[in-house]
Amino acid sequence: MTTTKTPSCPFAASRRGFLLGAGAIAAAGGGAGAAIAAESEAARPQVADAPIAHSDARRRTPFYGVHQAGVVTPRPACGIVAAFDLVAANPEELQTLFRKLTERIAFLTQGGRAPDRDPKLPPADSGILGPVIEPDELTVTVSVGDSLFEDRAWLKPLKPKTLMRMAGFPNDALVARSCHGDVLLQFCANSQPTNIHALRDIIKNTSDSMVLRWRQEGSVPVVPPQPDGKSESARNFLGFRDGSANPDSNDDALMEKIVWVGAGDPDEPKWAHGGSYQVVRLIRMLVEDWDRTPLGEQERIFGREKWSGAPLGVLGGSEHDIPDYAADPKGDLTPLTAHMRLANPRRPETEANLIVRRGFNFSNGVTKSGHLEDGLLFLSYQADLAQGFLAVQSRLNGEPLEEYIKPFGGGYFFVLPGVRDESDYLGRSLIEAIA
Amino acid sequence: MTLANRLKMGALAAALCAPGLAWATQEAPLDLVQPIADYKLYVAVHTEKLIADATKFVAAIKAGDTKTAKALYAPTRMNYEAVEPVAELFSDLDSALDSRADDHEKKEEDPGFTGFHRLEYGLWEKNSTQGLSETADKLLADAKELHARIVKLTFPPEKVVGGAAALMEEVAKTKISGEEDRYSHTDLWDFKANFDGSQKIFVLLEPVLAKKDPDFVKKVAENFTVVDATLAKYRTAEGYEPYDKLSEPDRTVLSAKVNALAEDLSTLRGKLGLN
Ligand code: HEM
Repeated sequence: MTTTKTPSCPFAASRRGFLLGAGAIAAAGGGAGAAIAAESEAARPQVADAPIAHSDARRRTPFYGVHQAGVVTPRPACGIVAAFDLVAANPEELQTLFRKLTERIAFLTQGGRAPDRDPKLPPADSGILGPVIEPDELTVTVSVGDSLFEDRAWLKPLKPKTLMRMAGFPNDALVARSCHGDVLLQFCANSQPTNIHALRDIIKNTSDSMVLRWRQEGSVPVVPPQPDGKSESARNFLGFRDGSANPDSNDDALMEKIVWVGAGDPDEPKWAHGGSYQVVRLIRMLVEDWDRTPLGEQERIFGREKWSGAPLGVLGGSEHDIPDYAADPKGDLTPLTAHMRLANPRRPETEANLIVRRGFNFSNGVTKSGHLEDGLLFLSYQADLAQGFLAVQSRLNGEPLEEYIKPFGGGYFFVLPGVRDESDYLGRSLIEAIA
Repeated sequence: MTLANRLKMGALAAALCAPGLAWATQEAPLDLVQPIADYKLYVAVHTEKLIADATKFVAAIKAGDTKTAKALYAPTRMNYEAVEPVAELFSDLDSALDSRADDHEKKEEDPGFTGFHRLEYGLWEKNSTQGLSETADKLLADAKELHARIVKLTFPPEKVVGGAAALMEEVAKTKISGEEDRYSHTDLWDFKANFDGSQKIFVLLEPVLAKKDPDFVKKVAENFTVVDATLAKYRTAEGYEPYDKLSEPDRTVLSAKVNALAEDLSTLRGKLGLN
């Protein structure tokens, strides 16, 4: 399978290629001037030409591994989560679905040519990426929800230890249509059409056993490369850098502890080793109100300086500086109610509550009163739901930030262990564990 | 003249005077001639029944008998829903008979909102037959016109064959969500009619398909069976339970199987060599 552009690749027959060809003919008859004119015209795109992708369009994120991709791999610019209800009455049907998902995801994430079919038949592929599908660093991460286990007696005994149905918190206004699901697919790629293409492919190929329940798209702002090669956390729709204090996702040992369920979790079913608890929260932000809030107050709500992302009081600091709460017991620098201080008080006993956040921003539409329906597609990963998200959220309940946010959807899921090689498939350990 | 004979005459007349329809009809391959003729009969039987049922339905409305009119609404509609792929070919009649309030700018108050759903709105939301007389007369006249046009129509083979998937798509789009009959909640009646219409087409084509792709026939037949069995749980003496009785797990099963049927049946045209 190759994704290099060869002359036989249909992309080569673009309008620009045609103009260059025309230029060459003109040059033969009309001298060098015509050729230059034609070339400069060729370099000037037409209004509706496809924007040129970054070189990342041909990069792939490996599909096979002990863990699924899309959890501790770097988050690209665009994401979609889609929750489904399942029709799987027995282990065989569930296995068939898992194998199908494995086959589609292995193809979509690595890219290649869409199969050709008799033109009398509906095409196998939606075609929105053209005949050759570029991988675009796509990852598709499959996780399963509480209801998958609870609604099936043969799966119930195998439910991960702390998986449960999401219940509302005091500031939530949950909308049934945007909550829960038997299976969640998380798509991440450099561009949203790549995610949409993958979603449509999977819907088409699994329609006999999965019914779409809800979905949410999101993205994060892209930034130009920095001269020193360093990267920074992406900003959320409140204008703050989000992700600064995340545990180091390149530290494998740390990730084994914080994110992945493994041998260190004796109470977890064995099949779940290599998986992770995933929290999805659809959180609306009241951005108009936020934009009318003084900068100082905004910064105190989070405990961070808006532009640099540095903890408050660290002069000339960076987002990676570590706040010293022990030296600030009354909250003179970082208010005791600041989001980040509540989320992580940095005491020895709260070490067990660390989580990895990997969210996206969404903008959905307009409310009846003419306000933007923007917000955060919050995604977090942890080795224990109760110790991770639930503990953190219970400390955040009642925080000043709540005046500007309204969670309305999402759910709790468990990311299946990775697919090791071509003979393996998603969910194999679960299927094999069914008594 | 028998209905079958009239249909033959109609087909002849249509062939001679080229109907002013917007699509180009392709010649039916030889092995599809009989299934299409049989299907035409099926459709005409339904439109004839539509006229008979609508006559009683309209009479009840005009007599101010809300209760009887309500009881006749869903069974009358079923005749239309079963043959929708063909009925829809006449877009003027389809929108007069079957458009929903959503299709109109002023929704329920829009003067263009007529037909079944306008009557449904009056009967259930207003619980009255008041002011419905004119709409009711128009419904009957449109039903008669539909039947007259269908009898004269040369059935385009790709519309007949494609109709099996189209009916399942209908179900998948609006019936499964309870959006179609939002005042009366009789969506499961429509569901059943769409289902029957789709299955009828499949059964007529089955002998041809079985020769070409027996595995496909088996898979589709299985999905039809699951849908039929699930729907049967909601049967009542008169017809079907209201939509809100449909359980969440059954809704998921129906959704998945209907989507799968739409997906598989969408390959029928290609499998039978139609463009
Ligand atoms: C719309 C809602 C939210 C917004 C706008 C928001 C924003 C932020 C910002 C700007 C930071 C500081 C930078 C950083 O360390 O990433 C932060 C930190 C953090 N947030 Fe949130 N957040 C939201 C919801 C949540 C939720 C629901 C949780 C989990 C229950 C959470 C957990 C955390 C954690 C654990 C930290 C890191 C604290 C630290 O280690 O210092 N956040 N958040």
